[in-house]
This record gives sequence, structure tokens and C-alpha cells, in this order.
Amino acid sequence: MVAMSEFPTSFTLEYPYTRTLGPVIGPFLTALRDGRILGIRCGSRVLCPPLEFDPETGETLSPDFVEVGPMGCVEFWTWIAEPSRKHPFREPFAFAQVKLDGADTAMTHAVKASGPEAMSNGMRVKAQFREERTGAISDVYFVPEADALDMAIEPGEGEVEISTHLISLTFDENLYPSRARYAQGLLDGKFIGQRSPVSGSVSIPGKGYDPMARVLMTEADDVELAPTGTATSFTVITPIQYKGQTETEPYVSASIFLDGSDQPLTMQNIYNIPVDEFREGMRLRAIFKPVAERNVDNVDNSWMIFTTGNVIERWEPTGEPDVPREEFPEQI
Amino acid sequence: MLAEEIAIVAYAQTPCVRSYPDTEPSMLMGLVNQILEETGLDRHQIDFTIAGSSDYLSGSPFCFIANVDGFGAWPPVYESHVEMDGAWALFEAFVRLQMGDIDLALVAGSGKSSPGTPREIFPLQADPYVHAPIGLDPVSVAGLQASALLQAGKASERDFAEVVSRSRRDALSNPYAQVAKDIPAENLLEEPYYASPLRKHDLPPISDGASAMLIARGHRARELCEKPVWIRGIDHRIESHHLGLRDLTDSPSSRIAARHLGLDPGSLDMAELCVRYSPEEIVLRQALDLGDHTRINPSGGPLCGHPVMATGLTRVIELARRIRAGEAGRGLGHAASGPALQQNLLCILEGES
Repeated sequence: MVAMSEFPTSFTLEYPYTRTLGPVIGPFLTALRDGRILGIRCGSRVLCPPLEFDPETGETLSPDFVEVGPMGCVEFWTWIAEPSRKHPFREPFAFAQVKLDGADTAMTHAVKASGPEAMSNGMRVKAQFREERTGAISDVYFVPEADALDMAIEPGEGEVEISTHLISLTFDENLYPSRARYAQGLLDGKFIGQRSPVSGSVSIPGKGYDPMARVLMTEADDVELAPTGTATSFTVITPIQYKGQTETEPYVSASIFLDGSDQPLTMQNIYNIPVDEFREGMRLRAIFKPVAERNVDNVDNSWMIFTTGNVIERWEPTGEPDVPREEFPEQI
Repeated sequence: MLAEEIAIVAYAQTPCVRSYPDTEPSMLMGLVNQILEETGLDRHQIDFTIAGSSDYLSGSPFCFIANVDGFGAWPPVYESHVEMDGAWALFEAFVRLQMGDIDLALVAGSGKSSPGTPREIFPLQADPYVHAPIGLDPVSVAGLQASALLQAGKASERDFAEVVSRSRRDALSNPYAQVAKDIPAENLLEEPYYASPLRKHDLPPISDGASAMLIARGHRARELCEKPVWIRGIDHRIESHHLGLRDLTDSPSSRIAARHLGLDPGSLDMAELCVRYSPEEIVLRQALDLGDHTRINPSGGPLCGHPVMATGLTRVIELARRIRAGEAGRGLGHAASGPALQQNLLCILEGES
């Protein structure tokens, strides 16, 4: 059970990395795609996986490749009882140092075996190539010699010159305490900020500390702000149509300082006031959505961008006179 | 030869916890305030600040900038950052003070591992062509290192269990430890394998935490505290990222660092080693020739609390605390980075003679 005051968040951070492979890793991965394993000559030794440089001296190695394997020897191994989502196999397997026949250095890779009792130091293993190969180290894995299947490998076309690696990491955490109280406030139709006990400056949402006075803050420092404020700056967004775009007409995105706050609510979208009637200094009042329609699904722990959830129906002009610009010089 | 004598003046650390519910800057702010209060300094008197952290840990791009809030946003700081353990921030601060133009440097390390899955994040520091795509993680590499030690006859599974048993027992007296228990090695050996020959207790806990330290040039250090702890030398070295090019049963990079420091292992009363996986202690003891007269990890070490990005700096702090308390005269602080002790930092500390 999640307590009402906890707001679990989950997000997935993804970066698609593409890397050029160069004169050594390129041919190595091209060969893997084609069902062969290459080492590189380094003096009297053969290194596999190959390097662009002599690991002892740093001298550039000429691309003098030697085919190694597909048989090799396990130097030592570890049985992975609970594989991670990034490992080559879902079921338990071994990582091993595999010294391929013809190579002088070992490659770290996965061995698929029936269980740890099928593994031993010095055992013979054979490379197996996956049906779908992309020119990546994961095109290959190893199995005990007795389990090896002979496969006909169709070479691919062209050279593998780029590797692609999608990094995908998921993070789960609750909203920070100050952020959770801010989110609960939004659901309740209230703006909850924090007042520094040292400077008196009010921020919304509170960070749980005052970075200027270097003082930590607690729930005792929370303050409720009125739903009225002043638009101090704005821009007019003209929507460009792209897949997923829901906006069609130009609209205002404004920064609004709630009365008594020293930090604006940013990126407040205004649809109910014509763009040519919107002004700096305009007095506005937040009209909240009905309780059943409010949610704070987009409130997260980001320190750079703060949303006000999906709780505000619209910002309505209060009808008060505009605040002259001279009265908010610090707030532009 | 060092141009300037540098000493540790003050330090602070958070407890290691499985999940710290608030922000990383708030962890740091508490430590910075504690150090300033203890030394009576105002923040504007700090000449240089440097932090070690990693945005990938909590999945928050540029959160290392938010961490500056922890030092106080005003007045502006002369700030540096390393995407490394805070021990490497200490190294940079030490070098910076060698220039002789400033006196005080504030060093910190902080990390929240709790939101993410460290086993999925750490392969990203491995070789991007042949290791990262198969998810090769530090736990698996530690299993390989342990396996290599057994094969070479340099350690037994019982040795691993003894390291864990002693560390967890020592952690009972460490208020900052996350895991502490009096449990004999033979009981540990009954647990199932996780990354054979390692069991889950051979691994560090997943921790959130931070630590911070104020260092000063000699004359300022004597003004600011009664018992400066002197940094007699600091050095770090690295090995290849290809496991096939390394001897996993040895730590040549540690030995090179020790040689450059002129380290005499016979002179060490104590060593706080960055033992994240129990086999690492055996590798380091042998590589650095640490004898029985050197007390290892009285804090319990990283096996009892592993606030990634602060773990190494915390080793130096744990050692400094015990030197200041008179429990040791001279000791070795150690930090490690990368899988299976790929990179090692050594720091020799000494009390007032």
C-alpha cells in the first residue's frame, strides 16, 4: 500500500548512442557479423578482442588481423544466478574469461551452459553465433564444446562502421518530501510553497532548503499562497505540427509570480486570453479544475523544470489594474 | 617532494542508508554546515570547493549543478567537479593547494544509488564496444576476480567469508554503517552463490550517502584545529579496461602508487581500504604487503555501506577520525574506481608527531 502522502514516480532515461568503430573494432565486429572472430598481432602476441594500440607501449598497431577460435578455453568463470536485464541471457549463465585458440589474451564473454556443474576452469568452449547478427559483440556467445551446433553463417554486406547502443535506464523514487507536499496541495486546490526562516524569501515549490542562506527547511516552513498573481513575462507559442502535437492555435506561455512569492510558476499556458490582449503586469487568478479531474502525474523530482500538474483549468484576469513594470524589476 | 604541507581540518558524513528520501543537495548542505560550524569559518572564507558525483546514478542530467546548492549559492564559489569518487576530488584539491596561493579547500562526494539499478548503470562505464553491450557489471567482474584468486591458490572462499564476518562485526561500532552484524564465517559459507564463488554478503549494500572534508595548508590548519591530520602523500594509478590484459589476482596500479609515495607498509598502523567486494581486500593486502600489525577497515568498510561517489572519500575520513582519536599514528586511505580495482588511489595520513 502506498500512503496517500507518498507520490511514487518512475521514469526511463534513454540515449541512443552511435559510435564510429575505426580501423580495428570495425573489422572485428564486421567479422563477428560474418561468423568469424579476429585477433590482432601485437609483437609476438595475438590480442583478442583486438586493440588499436599496444597495451604495453601505447604504440599504434597496424591492422594485422588473425582469425582465432571458434574453439577456446575457459580460464576462469563466475555463475550468474540472477541475470540483470542487460545481460545476454534471461536464465542463469556464466561470465568467463575465454582464451580463444590462436589468441594470447582472454575475452570476457557469456557462456551458456546447463548449470554451474557444467562449468570448469580449463574447459573447452565454442563460439555460437546468433541468427540475427548486427555487427555487435552480442552477436556471439559461447557454449561447452559438447553443446555446440554447427551453423551455416551467411556473411553480411559491406563493412560495419558504426555501432548503435540504446541506453535505457529506469529510475523509481518517491517525490521528495517538500515536492510531495506541493503536489498534495495542487490536488487540494492550493499553492504550497516554502518560506526561508532566514531571509523570508518564498519559493514554490519549496526545495526543502534555502540555497542562498544555506539552511534546511521542513514542513514547518511551508506556506500557502493565494491563487492570485502577476504575469511578469510571457512568450507566444506558434505550434509547429509534428506527430503527437495537440496544439493548433497560437497561445501564451507565461511566468506568473503568485502574490507573496519570490519565484515564478513558469510555462503557464494561457488559452482563454487572446494572445494580442496578453500583457506583462496582468493580474490573474488560477481557477482549479473540479477535484475529480485533477492529477499531478507530471510532477516529478526534476530540479530544473517545475510543473503545476494538471490541476489548473485556466488563469482568469482579476480585472485589477496592471502592475507597472517598475514594481517587479527583479522578476523579469 | 611536496611544496606545501596539507592537513585535514574537519570532516563530516551522513549515515549510509538504503534510501534517503530527500535531495542530494540537502545531504551535502547538512555536512557543509557541520564543517563550517566546527571550524567557525564563514563560507566566503573557503577558497576552493570541489565535488565528486555522477548524474547517471540518480538519472538526473546536470544534477551535479544542483549539488552546488549544498555548498550555498551565495557568495559564488570557485568550484570544480569530478565525475568520480570524492577521493579524486580530494586529490584535485590537494594539488590545487600545492600552488600556494590559497589556503582552504572544501571537498565532497555524494550519491543516491537508490532510484536506479546499479547493476544496469555500471556497465556504462565499461568498454562501449565489447563490454557494455553484454551488460558486464561490477558484480560479475568481482565474481571473475574471486574465481581467479581461487584458481591461483591466493585465497579460499573461507577467506572471503572471514573478510565479511570481521567487517560486519566491526561495523557494529560504526554509527554510519548500513549493515552490521556479528555473524561467523561458517554461517556465511552456508548461503547460496550469487556470482559464484561470491555470495550476496560478499557484495556491498546499495546505499545513499555523502561525505565532506575541509583541507588546509599547514599554517591555516594549525589555526583552525587542535589536531590536524597530515596528508603525507596522495597518488592514483589505473589499469587497462580489458580484463584479459589484467592480472585480476594482483593490483599493480596500487603497487605503482605505493612506490611513488615511498610507502613503507611496516609503518602503517591502520588502513581503510575501499573493499567493495570481499576478494578486493585479499588482493590489496597482498599487493601492498600489508601485515598483521596493520588494522584493516575498523569502520567495516564499503561492505557495510557503499555510498557510491563518496565511498572512497569516506575511507580517508574514517582513517582521519581514528588518527585524531589516537587509535593510529599513521595509516593508509584507499579509494577505488572501476570494476575489480581497476583504478586505485592511495593517501597516507599521519597525526601530529
